[in-house]
Amino acid sequence: MSVTDTPPAPPPTAASVPADAVRLGHWLTLPAQILILFIAVFPILMQLYISLTDWSPLSGRPWPRAWELWNGFANYADLMSDRRLWSAVGRTALVMIVCVPVQFFLGLGLAMLFVDDFRGKRLFYSILIMPMMVVPAVAGYMFFMLFQSGGPINDIFGTLIGRPVVIAWLSDPTLALVAVMIADIWQWTPLMFLILLAGLVGVPDDQMKAATLLGANAWQRFRTIALPRMKTIIIIALAIRVIENFKIFDTLYIMTSGGPGVATETISVYIYKVTTQDLIWGYVAAIALVILIVLSVVAVLAMRRMAR
Amino acid sequence: MTRSPVFETFRYAAILLALAITLVPIIWMTSMAFKPVSEWQATGADLTWIPKRPTFENFRYLFGQSETTLIVALERTATKPILASLLSAGFGTLIAMGAGTAAAYGLSRFGSGGNLPLALIQLRLFPPMAVMIPVMMMWAFLSLMDTWWGLALIYGIVTLPFAFWLMKTFFDEMPREIEEAALVEGCTRLRVFLKITLPMMRAPLASATLFVFILNWSDYLIALLLTTRQWVTIPVYMSSLASSMTGQLYGAKAALGLIAAVPPVILGIMIQRHLVRGLTFGALKQ
Repeated sequence: MSVTDTPPAPPPTAASVPADAVRLGHWLTLPAQILILFIAVFPILMQLYISLTDWSPLSGRPWPRAWELWNGFANYADLMSDRRLWSAVGRTALVMIVCVPVQFFLGLGLAMLFVDDFRGKRLFYSILIMPMMVVPAVAGYMFFMLFQSGGPINDIFGTLIGRPVVIAWLSDPTLALVAVMIADIWQWTPLMFLILLAGLVGVPDDQMKAATLLGANAWQRFRTIALPRMKTIIIIALAIRVIENFKIFDTLYIMTSGGPGVATETISVYIYKVTTQDLIWGYVAAIALVILIVLSVVAVLAMRRMAR
Repeated sequence: MTRSPVFETFRYAAILLALAITLVPIIWMTSMAFKPVSEWQATGADLTWIPKRPTFENFRYLFGQSETTLIVALERTATKPILASLLSAGFGTLIAMGAGTAAAYGLSRFGSGGNLPLALIQLRLFPPMAVMIPVMMMWAFLSLMDTWWGLALIYGIVTLPFAFWLMKTFFDEMPREIEEAALVEGCTRLRVFLKITLPMMRAPLASATLFVFILNWSDYLIALLLTTRQWVTIPVYMSSLASSMTGQLYGAKAALGLIAAVPPVILGIMIQRHLVRGLTFGALKQ
């Protein structure tokens, strides 16, 4: 297991590639280019257009005539003062700040237990990575059942403390958010475990042994030998979870639909509700476009930093 | 390296705890799938982890063959949603793998499409929610709403980044001597790609295909927005198994959940070796 640092062969340059190869290359990349054009360029132009109007599917005109409802930058002004939107942004950040580090440390801890061989390793490993392969909507339903007030989680707690526990997890604003985070941690800790273990296994054994002979304890070995070699892997693992966590929808929506009230409403849930219930598509387009711009800036900045 | 018994004890204790936490939700859903209606909502002392009277009733009910009179008969059976999931995820995977493999080869060998890597990373980065309004408008315009082929098209685009990156790392690693030899023998480049490279890459292609299929099969949000009735997929259909009239159909939902969850878990374990590579866009491999 290793980080791919450089491709094995130097990337071909225009000068070194014969004409027939260039032609074939163009044909081969064409379908992908068309698909990207189809999903990136048209939708974003459309989104920009709609976002400057009051258009909605109920406005009685087809979308090309949305200009009749032109309202300039009013949607953008509205979103600045949209309290529900900003609380959804804050909640998404909170879920991320709690879940990603918990997943990371649990995953790392587990990975450290799996570095060397022991009885049952393969079987345990296969079971531990199962949650990330469960369809997220199904995982959401699993936790919906588990967190019912008469459900198994309360039953387990009840058995542990010796008297019945009746906590209404999903109808309490705070506990519902906790429940949603527990489901996310359950499903995605395995991803951290998998990636970090792959990284740990790549640390050369002889260096670790040498350090042991020199009297380094486990923590010192991890910090001075394993950690520096795993830097890229750790960044990639964290980046994947941050990106995915930002989009959180499936499990959460199945468990709580964003409720009670708006207690578990994240950005995706908020946009979904405004899209399907309020149907103010001009406004949603403005929000979506702002998100796309902010994310693009973050992506470019992150890539520049990574490149250095 | 020899480990102290204390460490070994700690290791097994920690792993057993992790296994228990991992398995509780799965066991509960599996057990629920085989519980008769009377046990669905048993609480307190009646709550059981293993069904008292295990039954296939829930599965039969999903396919419209239940004798039970306790719950309202289903308006629509699970057959068509299962078909919808298979068709949309299957053809979506074909689109992604077709376009992705071709583009990956073009970039890896001839340096074509230099804009693709960044464009595809951005595609992966954006929440689908943020482009769904225009997609819904386009799909309505193209009459793709509520069809499995419309869903397959968007799945093909959404998972294209994974197909492309996975195949690109596989092509980058593949030795080129055989291809070059075939070229010298007078094969055209297209023939080399189709008749020599692709057959050699059968195993990686299969893993990448399964990986992309799992991703497509797992979708909920996109199907929720783009299908309404005719071609709803399993997860969307699943959430419809609760209404004010019937209440939560716990057992039936769990049975359907099991049907939805089993294929990706099995496929995932089959391609374990390539999971890290797939998930990290080929940046890491085992």
